[in-house]
Amino acid sequence: MILEISDFHAGYIRDANVLQGVDLSVRAGERLAIMGRNGMGKTLLVKSIMGLVRPSAGAIRFDGMAITGMPTHRISNLGVAYVPQGREIFADFTVLENLRLGIIGKPALRSESFDQVFEWFPILAERKSQRAGTMSGGQMQQLAIARALVGRPKLLLLDEPSEGIQPSIVHEIAVTLNRISADEALTVVVIEQNVEMVERLSERVLFLENGRIAEQANVHDLSEDPSVIERYLGV
Amino acid sequence: MQQFAPLALDALNYTSVLLLVSIGLIIVFGLMGVINLAHGEFFLIGAYSVLVAQGFGLPFWIVLPIAFMITVTVGLCVDACILRFIYHRPIDTILATWGLSLAIKQLMIIIFGPGAQQVSAPITEPAVIFGVTYSSYRIVIMLITGAITVATLSLLYLTRFGLAARAAMANRQMAQCLGINTRLLDRTTFGLGAGLAGVAGAVMAPLMSVDPQMGLSFLIPAFLAVLVGGAGSPLGALYGSAVIGTSNTVIASWWTPVIAQIIVFSLAIVIIRTLPAGISGFRRS
Repeated sequence: MILEISDFHAGYIRDANVLQGVDLSVRAGERLAIMGRNGMGKTLLVKSIMGLVRPSAGAIRFDGMAITGMPTHRISNLGVAYVPQGREIFADFTVLENLRLGIIGKPALRSESFDQVFEWFPILAERKSQRAGTMSGGQMQQLAIARALVGRPKLLLLDEPSEGIQPSIVHEIAVTLNRISADEALTVVVIEQNVEMVERLSERVLFLENGRIAEQANVHDLSEDPSVIERYLGV
Repeated sequence: MQQFAPLALDALNYTSVLLLVSIGLIIVFGLMGVINLAHGEFFLIGAYSVLVAQGFGLPFWIVLPIAFMITVTVGLCVDACILRFIYHRPIDTILATWGLSLAIKQLMIIIFGPGAQQVSAPITEPAVIFGVTYSSYRIVIMLITGAITVATLSLLYLTRFGLAARAAMANRQMAQCLGINTRLLDRTTFGLGAGLAGVAGAVMAPLMSVDPQMGLSFLIPAFLAVLVGGAGSPLGALYGSAVIGTSNTVIASWWTPVIAQIIVFSLAIVIIRTLPAGISGFRRS
């Protein structure tokens, strides 16, 4: 298992845990989606994996190493990349500078060749000298994903990558990520409420409800039995 | 032209020194969120370093890098002993750095006494520039501060370190998520900021009376420069120092230094009121 989370409790406020005993495991190379209604702790869970939130109990192991309580930059250097909700690209910096930031903190990576990500996301090659804040939402999302990928991660965490993006671009991003994951043996964990994105990208889906993993399903079963989606997303 | 040249040179001189002080303030605030009220005391330590070194007979030009190294070391010690424990609590950092400034001032009084002392300038012969006779030492100050400013801005805008520092200033948490060790950046930039203030104090020592209160005379205009220029970008220090330094020098020469201070403070209030993110924030938008 590349990622193992056991009996994990955490919250944004002390003594007010949102996550109340999360247990999950992710295989290397797997593409996992975590779904659930707003406020169920999905973002909190990925922030906890990145070390941005301290847990009150429980443990996280990445690639066999305990990373609970480890500083965020060290977790990143172990091979965990994070594309946050809202993308958080550096708007005043150029596309190229944003990409350089993806490798600048990684001592093992000295090469600044971005040919591979430009092949995956050609629009970034066209706009590499453009200020990132002037691009469209879809282009910014592609930049945020590319910035995460240039650091050669083993695990990619994506938080609501489809948010605020037109459906055709969502489709394109899902297909590209699927291809990258297969080609690079990249493990992907995606927090998502967009069913199409989940169906295109992931193999397995976990449903987070009241701070716990309430159910899991194979993604192919979701299209056959939409009642699971209705039960946990209310749509 | 000959009438305005000395005034323009004085303004440029004051602006360049102010820039060295304010650039340290701006990168420390931008990166760590620390409002460093002890920054004026790094200026003070730089000036006293010259006083001590001249006492040992060391040439002035060797003293400058020594003053830089001393204040960098003091800055690194301040970060290691005080700031690293509290940098995420902004109000506490204000109190801690204010307390530190009092402690450094008192230490200087204990060691050197409360009185003003003089440091001699390394060159005293006047030079002729733009057809007017002007202090050659002030010209040298401008060249030194200009070179240091170019080197500092190049470090911030042309290197990997600078890109990482500016990224951490823009979004500290995201920089950490990309593997950037922001605490290492904090330490480095705090030391660098202290060193720049130290050099500013060292080069200004021959032009001012060296006394335990001299840091304050540059701390207040430097803070104004940061607010006017905008704390969101290192370039803010450049814009703010130019506005505060030039207006203060020009108005003081026309009227009196007191009236100049009143007008400059009023001007700063108007600029901050109309451009809350400062001149650099206005340029970005």
